[in-house]
Amino acid sequence: MVDQALLLLRIAVLVLLYVFIWRIARTAVRDVRGAQESMILRPGQGFDAPGPRPTPVPAAAPARPGRLLVLASDVLPPGAAIVLDAPEVLIGRDPAAQALLEGDGFVSARHALVRVRGDAPTVIDLGSTNGTFVNGERIAAETALDDGDEVAIGSTRMVYEAGGA
Amino acid sequence: MAGHARDDAVNALLRLPARNRELALIALALLITTAGFAAVQIARAEALSWSPLIAAALFAAAYLAAHVALRLYLPDADPYVLPITAVLAAIGLIEIHRIDPDLARDQGLWIALGLGLFVAVAVAFRDIRRLESLRYTCGALAVALLLVTIVVGTEVNGARLWIRAAGLQIQPGEFAKILLVVFLAGYLRERREVLAAPARRVLGVGIPALRHALPLLILAGAALVLLVAMNDLGSSLLLFVIALAMVYVATGRLLYVGTGLGLFALGGLAALQIAPQVQTRIDGWLDPWPDEQDSAYQIAQSIYTIADGGVTGAGFGRGLILNDAGGTIIPFAQTDFIYSVIANEMGLVGASAVILLYLLLAWRGFRIATQADDGFSKLLASGLAVAVAFQAFVIVGGVVRLLPLTGLTLPFVSYGGSSVTANFAIAALLLCISQRANRERG
Repeated sequence: MVDQALLLLRIAVLVLLYVFIWRIARTAVRDVRGAQESMILRPGQGFDAPGPRPTPVPAAAPARPGRLLVLASDVLPPGAAIVLDAPEVLIGRDPAAQALLEGDGFVSARHALVRVRGDAPTVIDLGSTNGTFVNGERIAAETALDDGDEVAIGSTRMVYEAGGA
Repeated sequence: MAGHARDDAVNALLRLPARNRELALIALALLITTAGFAAVQIARAEALSWSPLIAAALFAAAYLAAHVALRLYLPDADPYVLPITAVLAAIGLIEIHRIDPDLARDQGLWIALGLGLFVAVAVAFRDIRRLESLRYTCGALAVALLLVTIVVGTEVNGARLWIRAAGLQIQPGEFAKILLVVFLAGYLRERREVLAAPARRVLGVGIPALRHALPLLILAGAALVLLVAMNDLGSSLLLFVIALAMVYVATGRLLYVGTGLGLFALGGLAALQIAPQVQTRIDGWLDPWPDEQDSAYQIAQSIYTIADGGVTGAGFGRGLILNDAGGTIIPFAQTDFIYSVIANEMGLVGASAVILLYLLLAWRGFRIATQADDGFSKLLASGLAVAVAFQAFVIVGGVVRLLPLTGLTLPFVSYGGSSVTANFAIAALLLCISQRANRERG
């Protein structure tokens, strides 16, 4: 009698355990079907990433504005560029930003501002959480950009190319 | 009284889909608890006492209270984490009850206390960003806790992991682990940029500047110091693996992981010469049988116990766990070797279920990390998930002789106040991160 009861309870516990596990595990199917996201913050696929590297485009037309050419980014395709054709270009996740870095968790809504005065643009960090980097250094104040300087915001790594005369 | 007085607020509280799913799963967990307790009670009819009933009642009440707290404070948080901990804690409680009803009463109390801490953490860090500003405090506390353990710690079972205070034995490493994860999450979020971006290019290979890689070298060195000072391979390996996993999540660079593991392995081999306990454990792991009655007694008994369980187990209360004197055949069966006891009484089927539960818990943790919107949350969630999963791996691997035996506890399952309460704090932090991510996603 005691043995039967014990056997029954043992089976009951084991069956219930697997019912429990199944009820949670089946929700995994939804995860697999959904869009795949990475746990890794932003792969550091900077300069040493294999594959084609964007090559500087030769000057085509005069009075070409300077631009920030994307080298690597989780949210923008490589080779894309932020054209600095306005006096102020806002970079961030804010839909109003001229340079929209949507979907990057390391970019603040209003992250950084590029000011174009004459032919020497400057970049200012707008109190972003994760900082704006010029040539690998987190900037504290308004920083002037020279041709070839590397700007990094969130996962996006860009190189500044001065415009043509 | 509340029959017709239900206002909108109450209705809103009852309508939370995630929390309703959680409640259904907690009910299932309590059913498992009841069946397991009933079985042990029947099997141990000669030793019937109130202690286990108190433990079971406390267990159920504490989980329902924690569930209500989540309804109030973290309504959108992940619905699976709390029920998974409930089933793990229930399995532990059932087997501890089987070993000693009085220990079960204590464990019931620890679980209730743990869930109290769970609620406190859930309320305090509802906004997880609040924790980020405490990162350096947490880092300093973690180092202080580890130092205190090394200086005034007492050796139990060869490893120096405990301190005695006011009649209680505390295992500070369990809490230091969480504080370290918080610190690393904050620190790596700050430094991610410089760690991930190679400062120099040597022959086309990106090498980070030495001053940025230095913290990694310090971590590896600290882990080795811990290995020697604590005389325990498991704790130092656990802390180091957590750190490496978080560095990987921060940078996505396997270079760091490979270099780190290589450094640890090399240093570990050297450190072995001055950590006798670790050497004993490794000998017992490679070949326990010559020292079966001596230094490898525990691991040998563990293997017998597991083998004795077979596929479906001996049944609750029917396994050969206790010796004639009423003690456990395997020393420390209720803490380090609880998994052997589970494998004995619930068999391969039950023991596999426990592994699956840790798998589910790790999956939820990593999922919370992928869904989190900010770097600190991602790092924290993945670090905590690794902490629980890797700890379970190391101790289960230890008792089945896949890895050298170490003095770690099985999260949520093993007997012990430090371990139980610390793990509930981890669960609460995961839910705080999940709440923020789910709310932002709508």
